[in-house]
Amino acid sequence: MPAISLQNIAKSFGETRALAGASLHCELGEIHAIVGENGSGKSTLAKIISGVALPDAGKVDVLGHAPTTPAEAIAAGISTIYQEIMVAEELTVWENTFAGTDGLWRRKTTTAEKKRLARETLLRLAEVDIDPDTPVSALPLSVKQWIVIARAVLQKPKLLIFDESSAALDLEATNRLHKEMLALKEAGSCVLLVTHRIAELVKITDSATVLSDGKTVGRLEKSEITEKNLLRLMSADERHSAAGKRENSVISTAHKPALEACNVQLAANAWPLDFKVHAGEIVGIAGLDGAGQSEFVSILAGITPAPAGKVQVWGASTVSHEITSLADAEAAGITYVSGDRKKEGLFPNLSILENFGLALYDRMASRFGVIDRTQLSAAFDDEELRLSIKYGDRSDKITTLSGGNQQKVLIARAFALSPKVIILNDPARGVDIGTKQDLYTHLRDFASNGGAVVYLSTEIEEFLNFADRADVFFEGGIFASFDQGAITEDNLLAAMFGQTKPIVFDEDTGTEGVA
Amino acid sequence: MDQPIDINRKEVRMPTNKTGLARVLRSDAKGLLIGAALLVALFTVASILVDGFASANNIRSILLLAAFLGLASLGQTMVATIGGLDLSIPFVIGASNILLAYLFGTSVPAPLALLIIAVMGAAIGFLNGVLSYKIQGQALILTLGVGFAVVGGAQIFTTLGSQYSGTVFSQVPAWFSNIASISGTTFGLQFPPVIAIWMLVAFTLIYWINRTKSGRAIYAIGGNRTAAARLRISEFRTWVSTYTISGLTAAITGCLLLGFSGGGFVGVGDPYLFTTVAAVVVGGTSLLGGSGGYGATIIGVLVLQVLTSFLVGMGLNYAAQQTVFGLLILPMVALYARSPHIRYQI
Amino acid sequence: MLSNRLSHLWVPLGLVLILGIMAAVRAPQTFTYVGLAGALLVAAPLILAAVAITPIAIAGRGGVDLSIGPLIGFVNVTIVVWLSENGITHPILVFAYAILAACAWQMLLAAFIIFVRISPIIASLAGFMILQGVNLVILSRPGGVAPEWLGNWGWGTELLSPVLYILLAAFAIWFLFQRTAMFQHIRLMGADERTAYTSGVDIIKARFAAHLMAGVFAGLAALCLTGLIGSGDPTQGNTLTLQAITALVLGGTSLAGGKGGITGSVLGAVAMYLVFVVLSSFNFGAISGFMTQLLYGLMLVFALLVALVTTAPRTRAA
Repeated sequence: MPAISLQNIAKSFGETRALAGASLHCELGEIHAIVGENGSGKSTLAKIISGVALPDAGKVDVLGHAPTTPAEAIAAGISTIYQEIMVAEELTVWENTFAGTDGLWRRKTTTAEKKRLARETLLRLAEVDIDPDTPVSALPLSVKQWIVIARAVLQKPKLLIFDESSAALDLEATNRLHKEMLALKEAGSCVLLVTHRIAELVKITDSATVLSDGKTVGRLEKSEITEKNLLRLMSADERHSAAGKRENSVISTAHKPALEACNVQLAANAWPLDFKVHAGEIVGIAGLDGAGQSEFVSILAGITPAPAGKVQVWGASTVSHEITSLADAEAAGITYVSGDRKKEGLFPNLSILENFGLALYDRMASRFGVIDRTQLSAAFDDEELRLSIKYGDRSDKITTLSGGNQQKVLIARAFALSPKVIILNDPARGVDIGTKQDLYTHLRDFASNGGAVVYLSTEIEEFLNFADRADVFFEGGIFASFDQGAITEDNLLAAMFGQTKPIVFDEDTGTEGVA
Repeated sequence: MDQPIDINRKEVRMPTNKTGLARVLRSDAKGLLIGAALLVALFTVASILVDGFASANNIRSILLLAAFLGLASLGQTMVATIGGLDLSIPFVIGASNILLAYLFGTSVPAPLALLIIAVMGAAIGFLNGVLSYKIQGQALILTLGVGFAVVGGAQIFTTLGSQYSGTVFSQVPAWFSNIASISGTTFGLQFPPVIAIWMLVAFTLIYWINRTKSGRAIYAIGGNRTAAARLRISEFRTWVSTYTISGLTAAITGCLLLGFSGGGFVGVGDPYLFTTVAAVVVGGTSLLGGSGGYGATIIGVLVLQVLTSFLVGMGLNYAAQQTVFGLLILPMVALYARSPHIRYQI
Repeated sequence: MLSNRLSHLWVPLGLVLILGIMAAVRAPQTFTYVGLAGALLVAAPLILAAVAITPIAIAGRGGVDLSIGPLIGFVNVTIVVWLSENGITHPILVFAYAILAACAWQMLLAAFIIFVRISPIIASLAGFMILQGVNLVILSRPGGVAPEWLGNWGWGTELLSPVLYILLAAFAIWFLFQRTAMFQHIRLMGADERTAYTSGVDIIKARFAAHLMAGVFAGLAALCLTGLIGSGDPTQGNTLTLQAITALVLGGTSLAGGKGGITGSVLGAVAMYLVFVVLSSFNFGAISGFMTQLLYGLMLVFALLVALVTTAPRTRAA
């Protein structure tokens, strides 16, 4: 019996087309994966199966149902673990574990039984003994993740969907999770996996559906699921060819670095970090989610002050200036571009021009604070040409643009400040290949004109032929640093898991080599 | 590299420009358009149904009352633009009304008295802003509490040594009465100066909001607080200053209402409790923050005043008017301030 | 862990104790048999109003029912004008009407919040305006006569009165409701609506249920108010809104949702009543009304700030 059968699914969110012609087929008793690069529609497809999103067109058959709400899906035996950890922080562990399991009015399990089961299940899954009456807000992220997994597992689902949900878990925990998935598979259920972890896919999946630009472009059987195949499919080939090769640049390390971090600690007892980026250099930053790389770039950009150690720039003389705030960063010519546009970049209520201009008002206002519109428009014209931003009218709302063009406006905003150092936090998230290419070209020009670039990415392929150096984070510290020649998928991936040799996923050897 | 860009831009520009009306209806100007249409329709219907509705006298009185409501709603608009609400406005109006009357009864020179009240209003607004900053979701309740305390305090202050509770009698200077009473004249012209004052304030405010750094900061905060913080726009400063402006304009409204009525009465602010919110909403400022503006509120104010005058002309009393206002708010909020379905929040 | 769940009760409990002692010193007659009977009668509408808005606050989305006061007023004037004046005075009919009318309004409000998706506070704000006007249209000034049996409650000389039984019944209803799975659903929804939705809770029914409970208590509050004043008053109810919200916040129910219960609201309402008792024991003369107003305002601000301090490490509400 097929567990899932989706045919020609289409789904748009406003102007953005998430899915167009996506199909998926998998059987009970197998572990199936959805693979594809960022923004290819994997999560949307998972949401359609779990009843959160409704398809615009296409045929949905999941365990004989077409769920229109999560409640319907759960009733049909479909449990989902969402990308975001869905817990009510103020409620207790047992309340969160058994969320939604009771009837509308009548309890199906007594409270005592719920507490016992919650404790037992978390002991088994997370290998920690937690008082079930503890409020969830007091627990670390990984335990919250296990609570959500426990909630799904306790529902004894016939189909379990994991949407990128192992991000908060370390390697050992991931292996325990795999055991749990295999047990479900043995019991005749189907597990659907949406993940970026290539090694994870190779290890446990039986088949995979490949998405690209919202369309199913292929299906892989067990024997075809190899690292090489997956990498080729996940990152679009055109990009590698079209991006061209970056000239080997010679960076003079004799000069003072453009930006430097000395003995920075991300938490009280974390490894102290040293980090340098020179003028003309592009430094890539990688790491698994939660390895500390996001926090680190926030500190570099002056958004959060370093808990310990210091970030500094060198002036024309030998005097250093410490960066502890956004004001310091701006004075030192450091700008920041976030990939999380919605959260920390866009003003959805404002026009394209204003989204660009807000950062410049300080410089382009008269003594009384009146904004010089002519000057602003001219600045926009310059950046628009360089980044080839496509738009209708500059007074249109920014939300009328595609994701890629929105991101271009935000990048233009950063460049318009004529920075010395630009820090990008996963800027290519959810943007199309064309935008990525424009971005790479732009950053290369910037670097060759003496700018310094710090580029955090969740897709390690982005660094190939692009970065001069790649620093890989692991458990709150820089685990390894690779020079241009040594930047390979294998090396980076191994380092992300804290290993010095290319990684092999296995519960027996998984914890070896972890420092 | 330059060649394909022009082509691309033309391609994209063409379709978005093709229907002007559709574009306006998708934009923020939608509120202004709907509001203005509503205003014209109401006025036309009222002129037909009510005798003398379009007379100079009636229009003058509509504009006069609109000036008070417009000034009272100014702060509410600013606060709503950053996603808050200020329910202390009616209480500040009432308190400043009786306090000014009280001061007019003492030896304090009139201009100084006005200044004292204005500073007091701004201080209350400042307090509102500071106290509610950390509990923005509950700003509405907090300002209600502050308002209650303020009006209680003001009454205690003015009642001590007087036997008329809630009402203060004193001589209002003639020049001050002229500003706000229906028979007032502006440079010899037959309309009260308060209407001109309102227009001047409105013009200045709109210019400030649209053309200056600090004005745009309000919209940046209303649109995305985190993104604004990244651009070093202070949420605290913006939040507190909008509330301060709200307190200040409420106090000024209270003073002007004293000129209008001639006697201090604490209940003078009561009709403004929800009417200011109604004016903001009917104009099309979303209570979720980030959109709308004072231009929209002016339309909202005029709609409400024309409607009030119309309802009075039709013989409806104050109670019925309140009901109609309440009924008007719901569809307007439904039009501008709906939150997305929960499935789009996951 | 029980202490953790009840920690929000310390502030209102302390307040009630301090004010209780002050009242005992300043106005000892409050604690006589007749005094308590009177106190119960006067405080009952506020207590029930505070209880009524509790489930709505727990259900989240910053839901504070501003319309609660005018709703109680609406039921009050309609009992007098629509029922009593038309000879419909049978207790069962009046009880049924009061509860059904209040529930119907709450269902309407809930439907607006759920299906039109506007913020609860705005929906209830509009509701306040509408009902406030409607009440005045139905009855332009205080007057009319309540059904005789109901008006007799207003003597307030017996402690074991219908008012006491109504309060006890309300507590019993809440106690039973609290033990249902539905209450758990409402708490979960209030604490994190997305978690509730994705884990299969029927959030539409849960929100309706919260409002339904509010309707039941609001109906009972209106009966107590009608008993207290023995007539219809179109504006009396309005003042209950602010007082009930103050009592709710004093009682430690978070306006952010997911947290709280009626014990806190009842304590908060009792504290409000005691403030009134203590204040009236002073001879403030003409300003006593203003004094109460000032203190209620300050108490509300104080309660909000206390709630802010005690729940300081909160994640940002979405």
